[in-house]
Amino acid sequence: MNQFQYVRPTKNKAAIDTVTKDPNATFIAGGTNLLDLMKRGVVMPEKLVDINKLPLRKIEKESGAVRIGALALNGVVAEDKLVLEKHPLLAQALDAGASAQLRNMATVGGNMMQRTRCPYFYDTALPCNKREPGTGCSAIEGYNRMHAIFGFSDKCIATHPSDMGVALAALDATVLVSGPKGDRKIPFVDFHRLPGDTPQIETNLQKGELIVAVDVPENNFAKHAHYLKVRDRASYAFALVSVAAALDIENNTIKDARLAMGGVAHKPWRLTEAEKALVGKPVSEHTFRQAAEVAMRGARAFEHNQYKLKLAPNSIVQALKTAAGLA
Amino acid sequence: MKDYFFQDTIGKPMDRVDGRVKVTGAAKYSAEIELPNMAHGVLVGSTIAKGRIKNIDTKAAERAPGVLAVLHYQNAPKVPGYVQAAHPTEPKPIGQPHRVFYDDKVYFNDQPIALVLADTLERAHYAAKLVKASYEEEKHTTNFAKNTDKAILPTAAKRNPRHGLNDYVRGKEDAYKNEPLKIESEYVIPSEMHNPMELQAIVAHWEADDKLTVYDKTQAVIGTQNAFAREWKIPVENVKVIATYVGGAFGNGLHTWPHETAAIIGAKKLGRPVKLMLTREQMFTMVGYRPHAWQKVGMSATPDGKITAITHEAIGQTSSYEEFTESTLQQTRMMYTSPNVTTRYRILPLDISTPIWMRGPGEATGAFALESALDEMAHVLKIDPLEFRLKNYTERDPEKNLPWSTKFLKEAMLMGAEKIGWSNRPMQPGTLRDGEWQVGYGMGVGTFGAHRGRATVKATLYPDGKVVMQCATTDIGPGTGTAMVQIAADNLGVAPEQITFELGSSLFPPSPSQGGSATVASVGSAVRAASIALKQKLASMATGNADSGFRGAKFEDLTFQNGQVSLNNSPGTKLTYSDILKQQGLPELEVTEESKPGEERQKYSLYSYSVHFAEVKVHPLTGQARVTKMVSCADAGKIVNMKTAGNQMIGGAVGGIGMALTEGAVMDVRFGRYVTKDFAEYHVPVHADTPPVDVIFVDKPDFISTPMGTKGIGEIATIGVAPAIANAIFNATGKRVRELPITPDKLI
Amino acid sequence: MAFEKDCPHALPESSDHKPPHEARRMFLKQSSILTAFALTPGVAVKAADLKFEEKVAAAFEQVKVTLEINGKKHKLSLEPRTTLLDLLRERLQLTGTKKGCDYGQCGACTVHVDGQRVNSCLTLAVMQDGKKVTTIEGLADGDNLHPMQEAFIKHDGFQCGYCTPGQIMSAVACIREGHADSDEEIREYMSGNICRCGAYPNIVNAIKEVKNGGLKV
Repeated sequence: MNQFQYVRPTKNKAAIDTVTKDPNATFIAGGTNLLDLMKRGVVMPEKLVDINKLPLRKIEKESGAVRIGALALNGVVAEDKLVLEKHPLLAQALDAGASAQLRNMATVGGNMMQRTRCPYFYDTALPCNKREPGTGCSAIEGYNRMHAIFGFSDKCIATHPSDMGVALAALDATVLVSGPKGDRKIPFVDFHRLPGDTPQIETNLQKGELIVAVDVPENNFAKHAHYLKVRDRASYAFALVSVAAALDIENNTIKDARLAMGGVAHKPWRLTEAEKALVGKPVSEHTFRQAAEVAMRGARAFEHNQYKLKLAPNSIVQALKTAAGLA
Repeated sequence: MKDYFFQDTIGKPMDRVDGRVKVTGAAKYSAEIELPNMAHGVLVGSTIAKGRIKNIDTKAAERAPGVLAVLHYQNAPKVPGYVQAAHPTEPKPIGQPHRVFYDDKVYFNDQPIALVLADTLERAHYAAKLVKASYEEEKHTTNFAKNTDKAILPTAAKRNPRHGLNDYVRGKEDAYKNEPLKIESEYVIPSEMHNPMELQAIVAHWEADDKLTVYDKTQAVIGTQNAFAREWKIPVENVKVIATYVGGAFGNGLHTWPHETAAIIGAKKLGRPVKLMLTREQMFTMVGYRPHAWQKVGMSATPDGKITAITHEAIGQTSSYEEFTESTLQQTRMMYTSPNVTTRYRILPLDISTPIWMRGPGEATGAFALESALDEMAHVLKIDPLEFRLKNYTERDPEKNLPWSTKFLKEAMLMGAEKIGWSNRPMQPGTLRDGEWQVGYGMGVGTFGAHRGRATVKATLYPDGKVVMQCATTDIGPGTGTAMVQIAADNLGVAPEQITFELGSSLFPPSPSQGGSATVASVGSAVRAASIALKQKLASMATGNADSGFRGAKFEDLTFQNGQVSLNNSPGTKLTYSDILKQQGLPELEVTEESKPGEERQKYSLYSYSVHFAEVKVHPLTGQARVTKMVSCADAGKIVNMKTAGNQMIGGAVGGIGMALTEGAVMDVRFGRYVTKDFAEYHVPVHADTPPVDVIFVDKPDFISTPMGTKGIGEIATIGVAPAIANAIFNATGKRVRELPITPDKLI
Repeated sequence: MAFEKDCPHALPESSDHKPPHEARRMFLKQSSILTAFALTPGVAVKAADLKFEEKVAAAFEQVKVTLEINGKKHKLSLEPRTTLLDLLRERLQLTGTKKGCDYGQCGACTVHVDGQRVNSCLTLAVMQDGKKVTTIEGLADGDNLHPMQEAFIKHDGFQCGYCTPGQIMSAVACIREGHADSDEEIREYMSGNICRCGAYPNIVNAIKEVKNGGLKV
């Protein structure tokens, strides 16, 4: 790792000020991805602002939502009673990520901020527009088995690796942010960006803005929710494809639905059209298959991720079946 | 004389003798040795696959705090033992390891091109990132699939027509082609990395200008000692190699690698000890791997299930500078009764680093193809795969035309089939379900030569009754020390608690490398020989003493037990070993015995055998495959320690699960550079991938193999596992996957 | 700015295990420009990289950290980039904690921080200031092995032994967390600890025995 300065403020404002003023300063929370990237020389911040002393760990009910502090640990959130009761989908997604050790370190805010796992991004010897804008994307004509089938650009086809984010996208979460210009709320689905011409910019956070919490609104999905993660081994691996499925079922009819996918795009991929295709329909594999077809509209694959065109809809069907109690 | 070796300890599930140091963190592995004034070394790798280094810019690195030196081909101290081919126009000698910092040539991507030495690890790592090289790049050849036409017969085979790597024909060449009932399939395995948990590491220390000590991760203490003595042109006895604890290796410690020499060069330059531990990425490029291989099997059979012909071809990749070969096709030559067998083995030199034997080396690769093909043939014939194998079982080695020393594979097959519930296996694939999951059963057979080498053990008995034995072998995990203590205990008649077995130092008597499943055979036989020699000395002292009741007794008349010698026909006449030493006024009694394989072995064909059974479940929508049950059976002679041997079998099964389902290193052939080079991208099995593994040992001694009746376990534990799983997946789904690993994308 | 520990550039101190070069210390004692640098620490880091004034820069590289490791208090001066793992292994010679990947992908470096299992390779030592760290060396009660250590020996939950400290630290936490109620749950919650020798089933058996034995972990 490069040398850097280390500071550990206790007030949000101090942390925000420091990162706002110093172009090469960055926040560190769990550090589980940032330190990994620093060791490999992918990122080289000159100042780390350790935010672990900031009062951002609470999980509480707040105006019709469960408010989860940005520094709440992934493992703590996954086992929180309130979360388990109101948003089991989120708990399942968190449990599907990483390992018990990493979940004890990684925070909710840090999970949102984690970078892609594209191998070209991690290898400083190879071109990557995300790491070094303008050098080219090695994945487009390279090893792109893990890569996007939605929303990519000719500059970048990387995927976002978060599991938690897929659940948050499905559950209409809102990100609470505090910055040099004050506080604001960003709908979770608008928090991450598609790569476009600037794949190096991954979120809509402004310089110095700090995630303080995420709100997950009340819903009727707790009874019928499932997070399915398909990966190359049984645990401790990033998703090939993952699906967050949540249904509100009454008399075997779908009253409302939420659906999002991971491992398919530069951001957690909400499937609103497919949700619409589910609403009002009877609970059946046929309904789910139809919704999966809607979900896959516009998908396009590369040489090594063709399988996702089949695995993704299959996984949607399977996740919905499990959520509905059919599997 | 009566043999006592099955008496008390051998065969028992004794706890490991090094268990306590391992569970308390007290065991010191190579990078954990602390020497005064030690510097840290970090290697910088090339970023091209082939060409020349045009310029290497080390200024920024040299200026970084704490940096002591940055070494590369232009300024590194010369290694005197590096020799060039006699003339530039002559071909490179075969088997020349890469010479680190020798010249400006780049032979593979991530080849070490510089060594950064600094006062702390952090500083060395950071400065390594500051070294920048520019290259004159040449067109590289790293695409295996596109270059198989350039595969060659290994030079060793070309030079010697009798060499085992030559083409083999029994009966008629390629006879399957003209048969009506046949299959012909191609199989591919990717490069697989050993990836032991301990990163390869060395501490190099020049104790004097011509005296070198290394604490090194190796499976070959003596081999490493010789290699460095040659490299530095110093007497062998001036090189000390210490490898007390080795954190796994699975074969990659059977070669000396560039990083070891680099650390020694660094220590030479600085005049201080240098510690160098590879990064996980470097474990993919600098310390060997199981080579990517293409295979084709053609097989024919009669309608009632007698194999009539097998042709098995293989191409394995190697580097451009070293010909690596392995016995990929051996099992095909000897396992089944086929009257016609053809094998052809080729290697494909590419601009990548050299492979090295990885657990169950070529045999595991070959068995994947052969045992999959057998399953395919059985399916065509509509015969149960177990029955098919039994119909083609050999009671004599058809290759060498010799009797087996022992072979209890049939017994193993039947025990394993019973245990897994083979009768549940549906003949029609894709017909058995557990809820949504498709269920299937598969089997695979493995074999590996029951090798034995020459080893020497020194045994010292002390007046307090304690015994210390020493040998320059290693313990990469099988529990060598534990097994040796057990063999010593029974052969010496001393309780295991009284015996210490010391290993992992070149100061001890020589041993072969710890490879090829031969350690118990080689070193264990020497332990036994030393034990017997010690008893003979004790006997002569006891019987030579006029005052003792033993006077005139012959060795055969004596019983050695519980640390004492007694007369067979008068058990009351006894003397403890301690008393004998005390009577003689000896501070210790020492013997050094060499043991080597005898002529008897030439009259037989010696192999260990395994058969693995897998139950798998496959989810048809998501393609996830889970091994839900495994039974691994071994005919490996007498088992010395049921607990550690069982563990080794389990480990082989887990390795096989990785080979079958999760492992594969992917190279981007545009750059000739791996894109999967850490544990997030290269998936070794985790706890959740591993079902309970039932281990069954036939446990019948083979005295042709060794005087203890043992045969090796390490390789057969994994050979045949991957095809068992692939065959089970076929049985579950009807999908025949011939390219490993069988990831979800291949099953949807 | 209201920083709790707003002095990232404390002086090296003599309790340091590997004291910086004498020359540096002498220089710092005599230097009157220290205060000036203290106000603009960015310069120091840059100076270090460019070696303009290494002696000054090196001083700023150090941060004071207090850690309680296996019940023993350590006052240290560290470069902020020192990971907890490298601190344990390279500075304190607590080499029972292993480096298997350095990227949080294998679990060999698992230790307990304030009782929770974490990967020591992916956290900076400075981030753990004031916390209690338990490593494998601190698990046993003197000569009496921890029940999990005993169970690993009995069930042969290892071969080469390199992942073993991490497996054991993780296994203890797995039971404490309440994630050892079935074989399947143990396997899932132990999946962050890779054993390349493949002793997994034996490890699961060891954990089950400790869990079922009801002994305090």
